[in-house]
Amino acid sequence: MARRAVCAGTPGVTGIAELASAEAVAARIRDARATGTRLRIVGRGHWLDAGRPCHPTESLRLGELRGITEYEPGDFTLTARAGTTLAEIAAATAREGQWLTLDPFGSADGSIGATIATSSAGPLASAFGTPRDHLLGCEVVSGVGEVVRAGGRVVKNVAGFDLARLMTGSWGTLGALTELTVRLRAKPEIDRTLAVEVQRPSHEMAATVWRWLRASPFTPLAAELCSSALARTLDIGDGVILLLRLGGNAQLVRSAEHAVAELGDAREVDAGVWDRLRVTEPVNAAVVRLGTVPANVGQLWTVASTAAQRAGGYAHATLERGIVRCVVPVVAAEEENGRLRGIMGELQSDGSRIAERLPESLWSDVPSSVADQLSLGIRRAFDPDHLLNPGILGSFE
Amino acid sequence: MSLTGSSPTPTTPLSSPLPGTVRADDGLARRLAAIVGERRVLVRPGELRGYESDGLPGYQRRPSLAVFPGTREEVIDVVRLLAEGGIRFVPRGAGTGLSGGALADDVVLLGLHRLTRIVSIDAENARAVVEPGVVNASLSRAAAPFGLHYAPDPSSQTACTIGGNVAENAGGPHCLKYGVTLNHVLGLSVLLPSGEIVTLGNPTGETQGYDMLGAFIGSEGCFGIALDVTVKLARTPQAVRTLLADFSSIGAAAQAVSAIMASGIVPAALEMMDTATIQAVEASIYAAGYPTDAAAILLIELDGAAAGLDEDAARVVELSTLAGARGVRVATDAADRARLWQGRKKAFGAMGRIAPHLVVQDAVVPRTRLPEILAEIGRIGERHRVSVCNVFHAGDGNLHPNIPYDANDSDESARVHCAMTEIMEACIAAGGTITGEHGVGLDKLPYMERLFTPATLDAMCALRGVFDPDRRSNPGKVVPIHSCREWHGAPSARARPA
Repeated sequence: MARRAVCAGTPGVTGIAELASAEAVAARIRDARATGTRLRIVGRGHWLDAGRPCHPTESLRLGELRGITEYEPGDFTLTARAGTTLAEIAAATAREGQWLTLDPFGSADGSIGATIATSSAGPLASAFGTPRDHLLGCEVVSGVGEVVRAGGRVVKNVAGFDLARLMTGSWGTLGALTELTVRLRAKPEIDRTLAVEVQRPSHEMAATVWRWLRASPFTPLAAELCSSALARTLDIGDGVILLLRLGGNAQLVRSAEHAVAELGDAREVDAGVWDRLRVTEPVNAAVVRLGTVPANVGQLWTVASTAAQRAGGYAHATLERGIVRCVVPVVAAEEENGRLRGIMGELQSDGSRIAERLPESLWSDVPSSVADQLSLGIRRAFDPDHLLNPGILGSFE
Repeated sequence: MSLTGSSPTPTTPLSSPLPGTVRADDGLARRLAAIVGERRVLVRPGELRGYESDGLPGYQRRPSLAVFPGTREEVIDVVRLLAEGGIRFVPRGAGTGLSGGALADDVVLLGLHRLTRIVSIDAENARAVVEPGVVNASLSRAAAPFGLHYAPDPSSQTACTIGGNVAENAGGPHCLKYGVTLNHVLGLSVLLPSGEIVTLGNPTGETQGYDMLGAFIGSEGCFGIALDVTVKLARTPQAVRTLLADFSSIGAAAQAVSAIMASGIVPAALEMMDTATIQAVEASIYAAGYPTDAAAILLIELDGAAAGLDEDAARVVELSTLAGARGVRVATDAADRARLWQGRKKAFGAMGRIAPHLVVQDAVVPRTRLPEILAEIGRIGERHRVSVCNVFHAGDGNLHPNIPYDANDSDESARVHCAMTEIMEACIAAGGTITGEHGVGLDKLPYMERLFTPATLDAMCALRGVFDPDRRSNPGKVVPIHSCREWHGAPSARARPA
């Protein structure tokens, strides 16, 4: 989930020295527990505007926990300290013809720790799934200062209860991730991106493409429908554009390209478009992700992309996953609350509605995602004093 | 024949009774019968004998009684009744598990295999809602007319249930490409041991907050009972190619595995069998036409769009040949392919011809360590004079070194036990894990403390405590009970068994 570079510090929060080992993090958390100090976990400091505002006393700085600690290409697994950036991992794996198939929205200077902690995924999730499908194991320091080593370093593992899944997407509220092991994949022989101008009336567009994908024997690496405003920003066309990423051997990709012609004019664009898509969001924006069953994605797209566009923003849809992500620029948050509330009111779905970024004053409209007894029990077990990223997932009651 | 786990002479006791828990008695049987009917409550030792074992009958534990509800409502009523009395129970599906996970030691066995309803199949969205007792292969059969199937395919798929698959986070050969149970479950209605019902996951969109769905899958019946399961269905591939490559050394076969995986081709399945396994299969009714003089064979399946598939197959042939394959043949038709697969899927059964009992292991090692681990397993087998049959998911390093033996021969049993312990130690030392798809259950309990730190085991106990504070559901499994201390207590207060 999230974004572009912002400054590493959180305003009003005392900065303290970077911590360089899990043991140092554990000692820091134990100290904080003794003094009732609430902590905001900070990795590379790039994504701090994602999620609900939280109100810590101090930062728990993990930016020095950096570097790949184990990478055996033949195993397709990589272990890195939590502050290692996605760009560093991409560079190391590319040399071996491999990649970590996670492309969350935001700068590639974001860390692997934050990607897993926030369960952030991008267009590649269509084919490869989200962080929960990539994480093999992790080292995490709980809110009581215990170092827990969940999962393992092998690609298949059912030993014990699945703490690694629990940590994924917990936004640091159960512990501070210090090291992670992820699954890699081999890069396909051919990796080609097409921009397809879908020849359909706008209200039929998404549904048509989704039906085509469902019926096609091909499984694209990614299939992202971009609203016309986004297409212009990315310089891939003037209308609604389907960005289709095809991977495989030459025959497969050629055959898929041929089949895509049924949808409309397709032309190859450089793969850099995917990186541009990740960082194209304005610094100040409200971002809401809507989800539905895949067959309803057409209807959801029509409503949500129209609303986003009318508000001066844009939308894009990961069709196979039934997700439409809406980005609306915020000019001056305080005066805009009324207008933004109206727009947010239009961005609804029966399936799921996840706010990634909002002006602070609008978060009170968003229901807590942890207001149930099991969530409260889990938080109590792992961070009984609510020291870590307090409030970032909402209230526990 | 019977199968046993890594420890053929199991001595680990199940947990001692917990304070506040009550044993089943006659009054309970009557009250349960009022819910499910008298025929569905078993109390006599003779009737319970069939439930003393699961897929690993080397372990035997007799339930205090067994109850078999037939509807969702009956399951809820039964669990609420047990909750009222603080009574412990073990949920059980088809009982095909290979870790002793479904054994009930003098506690109530709660069988779910009668809940066999496929509630719905949503072909358009490629998903299905099923009750926990639906047999894995039945779901794929029901989905087939829509061009869909359920991808996780444990070897026991003609008998095992989806509820059991969820409990074990079951795998199977095709999980190499398609992922394990975790990757295919979208949502669950869960009946907690307290009798409360919660919904985990969100089949109609994304979830936010803690991934309790992920935590529940693979919790081996310790977190509660899945009342219904919403799963993703996979599209039946347009084309399939199944190849059989034969090698004169295990090392060459392992090298071929590495070369194929590194090529960027993602096989749907990549399985290895060694000489001992090939010969067992070929001597059985499951004979598949494997070359009996091969040191190892690879069964490689490619699937997907027809375009480019033959090119991938040609590349696999080339890579296998370069690695030293004596020959590679492509299955000629569906019947040929089914025969090649039957030999693999029934390999455990075929080993039953060799000796009356069989120990089964499920360790996983980093794939690059396969050649050395397989050599080490060979040396361990020789040292202890036991015959190890290797049949496994080579693509993801998930070993199944199995040893046929006679449990009535105490000397042989002791040797098998030593060999299995050493094999497990070697896999852990190689950076691996103790189980890839069978679960810890009872069988691998002794290894948990070698694999995980006390703080990690404690965290697992704490997680379990959220779902089942009294540890009444499947007591004594997965995490050794003495590893559970109060999460916030002092480490020195940890109680160790004498």
